[in-house]
Amino acid sequence: MSRSFLESTAVGFGRAFTRAMLSETTAQRRGWLQSLDPRVRVVGLFALVLAVTLSRKLAAVAALLVVAFAMAVLSRVSVVTLAKRVWLIVLGFTGVIALPALFVTPGQPVAALGSVVITEQGLRTAALLILRVETAVTFTTLLVLCTPWSHVLKALRALWLPKEAIVMLAMTYRYVFLLVETANQMFESRRSRTVGILKPQDQRRMAARTAGVLLSKSVALSNDVYLAMQSRGFRGDVQVLSDWHLTLWDLAGLLGFVLAGSLAVWMGR
Amino acid sequence: MHIPDGYLSPSTCGVLYVGAATGWYAALKRLRQALLSRVIPLISVFAAFSFVVMMFNLPLPGGTTGHALGVTIAAIVLGPSGAILALSIAIAIQALFFGDGGITTLGANCFNMAIVASLVAYASYRLIAAGAALASRRRVIAAAIAGYLAINVAALFAAVEFGIQPMLFHDASGTPLYAPYPLSIAVPAMMIGHLTFAGLAEAVISAGLVAYLQVADPGLLRPTSGLPSDATAEPATVPALPRLWIAIAVLMLLTPLGILAAGTAWGEWSPAQLARAASSASTASSPASAVPVGLQRLAKFWTAPFPAYAPTFVHSRGFGYLLSAMFGVGILLTVSLAARSWAARHRRKESSA
Amino acid sequence: MPPLFELRDVCFDYDGIAALRGLSLEISRGERLALLGANGSGKSTLLRMLDGLGSPSHGSLSFDGQQLTAERLQRDDFALPFRRRVALVFQNPDAQLFNPTVFDELAFAPLQLAWSKEQILSRVEQTLEYMRLAALRDRPPYRLSGGEKKRVALASVLVLDPDVLLLDEPTATLDPRSQSQIIDLIQQWKGSAKTVISATHQLEIVEDIADRVLVLEEGKVAATGAPAEILANHELLLRANLVHAHRHSHNGVVHSHPHIHSHSEHEH
Repeated sequence: MSRSFLESTAVGFGRAFTRAMLSETTAQRRGWLQSLDPRVRVVGLFALVLAVTLSRKLAAVAALLVVAFAMAVLSRVSVVTLAKRVWLIVLGFTGVIALPALFVTPGQPVAALGSVVITEQGLRTAALLILRVETAVTFTTLLVLCTPWSHVLKALRALWLPKEAIVMLAMTYRYVFLLVETANQMFESRRSRTVGILKPQDQRRMAARTAGVLLSKSVALSNDVYLAMQSRGFRGDVQVLSDWHLTLWDLAGLLGFVLAGSLAVWMGR
Repeated sequence: MHIPDGYLSPSTCGVLYVGAATGWYAALKRLRQALLSRVIPLISVFAAFSFVVMMFNLPLPGGTTGHALGVTIAAIVLGPSGAILALSIAIAIQALFFGDGGITTLGANCFNMAIVASLVAYASYRLIAAGAALASRRRVIAAAIAGYLAINVAALFAAVEFGIQPMLFHDASGTPLYAPYPLSIAVPAMMIGHLTFAGLAEAVISAGLVAYLQVADPGLLRPTSGLPSDATAEPATVPALPRLWIAIAVLMLLTPLGILAAGTAWGEWSPAQLARAASSASTASSPASAVPVGLQRLAKFWTAPFPAYAPTFVHSRGFGYLLSAMFGVGILLTVSLAARSWAARHRRKESSA
Repeated sequence: MPPLFELRDVCFDYDGIAALRGLSLEISRGERLALLGANGSGKSTLLRMLDGLGSPSHGSLSFDGQQLTAERLQRDDFALPFRRRVALVFQNPDAQLFNPTVFDELAFAPLQLAWSKEQILSRVEQTLEYMRLAALRDRPPYRLSGGEKKRVALASVLVLDPDVLLLDEPTATLDPRSQSQIIDLIQQWKGSAKTVISATHQLEIVEDIADRVLVLEEGKVAATGAPAEILANHELLLRANLVHAHRHSHNGVVHSHPHIHSHSEHEH
């Protein structure tokens, strides 16, 4: 059991780094999304996610999924990677959640498995849910894969997020990796010193102690960061540097996003 | 508890975004009274910390595992305003970066897990630990209970948000457009998982961390302890207790009503439609939609006092469940408030005796 | 010429513990000073005070003839020039690297000091070249090695072209090559107008990075003098916990002697 707690946590930690690495390589490829101003990417892809939610018909959502797929291809994002990391996982989770809807939703029965009845409405609602989640997650994933995190954050300024929020998001992201690494090291050293299997209550104690040390280190670190910020001139009003200029290409891209979204919503009204 | 895109209708998302934005605004305003520049790194690092805590797969009593949120320890160390922001940031990064939780549902997720959870955690902790010494065992227990409550109340909110979707948002043929399960299924389904696993995980980690801090770094527990300290006065991030409870009560009441109102405003449903849907749902032949009898009776109890000329939807089952949930928590809050003021009066009598 | 920094009887408490107890010293313009002391002797605290990050509970501290107080630092007309002229490199580079990329890190200080965009961009490029970090400009901090982090931390303050550099353990935990890189940089500033104050417990680098040494012991100045002089004073070093005494026996006779490494005696 001690293995499983440490290892399952380590797996979660590994996910963070893998995702970051994948994003770095994909963001450097020369694809369609990568060619657009980051602000257009953020606004456009968020608009499409909104369109997914606003569409009321299955066909409209399916059309948006096709759009997402096309975007992935045009942006040199490996479809296989998307399938493995996104589509299959979402299908697993959402599928399990949507499955009972087949039987539980009242309406026109279309099939029967013994005494249990599958309704047409049940089929449609399950399909709608799964498609919506898949499409929305694809759009979000494309944004993050094709854009370096610092650009995603600065682009959020276009959505009128306050500067302090941007700074906090950036700092949090940066320190997540530090804390994950620290926590991992603590677990590793614990694992190497553990002989045999730890009882669950000992595991809990270890988890709490690791979290506790991490917490103290976090607070101490934040004190130092504050001093470091002050030392370099931070006086309370944070400044952010961005160097982007919108070109015709960007505006065309933005138009494309808005058109696709509006069409889907209109189709699916 | 992270709700992905597609489970909640646009108007629900909108309402919850407004709710979340109110919480963020209030929290930021409170923190600005303190030194924002000092607080930026503290909140950021704490957000990172809670992000990491959410990754821990904790072994629970009983042999299972569960994930905690870290919202309780955030509330205990930072106060509710800091916790609201720290958790919101962690949730936003999870949504954007990992796809855990959606973009349209970011407001809802922050509302449930950052705002409601922080307020409940903080208020419960303060209530139960009131007056206890910094190193006392009661604080550890208070943290555990606060964590358990916070997670479950947040889960209840999420369950209600899910559960009212099919009732309010479906197409002409009755197909639910978003989350497909009514309250009668959504609430038990969500609550079972959190009453057992997630709630316990949060309780375990919150208690464990408070116990650790009592020994290793008690200074971190002092600002929210409510104990008189010879150091500086309570920082501005910590609001007065009764106001918190009122805030929670108001939130709990406004949310469902807000959702209903918004649905009308958007024309997504009309009371007539809803009445039809409610009556058709009650005559559905599917055996799996049978509702626990107790819940049915409770629902009738709440809707019965409404006058006969009230809109039809008020008498529907769905609305009844909604009210049951909300009023139930409201009752709990009133009882706790009464208990606290009784306890305070009792203590005053003792000290003056 | 008045001293650049003048401290009189400075006391500072950190969390209830006295970190500086009645410390007095003067630092001249253009000096290269090494602060020697064991951990807990007050080195880091002193450096932070010199950078205006904390007010003394007692005593006075002045920079360039003006009193350095918290009130003064609230005012932009004092704070902005001060922050540009005096720079601190922290012991823990992770505390100093809080921006998403190396480029952002270097751009942070000039941004906060309200430089124009063109100034910022050109100066950052210059500094990246000078510190040979150009290849790392888009790297996030968690993908930097220990030596790279220290160089970026140093670069993030050099971008301002400060007059005073306060370095807290500049070579601690670094591999030999990174260490020598940093030491080379510090040696480049010898004879320039830059004042360099380094806090370290590594005796072997002191002669390379300083012309004067200040030994700190429990929050007070224990001694000051030229590097060779201080390093030869074994008794002082032992007392200040900067060296350890080896005890070994030869044929049943036990003797102990202080054990330090010095660059002044080496073979080719």
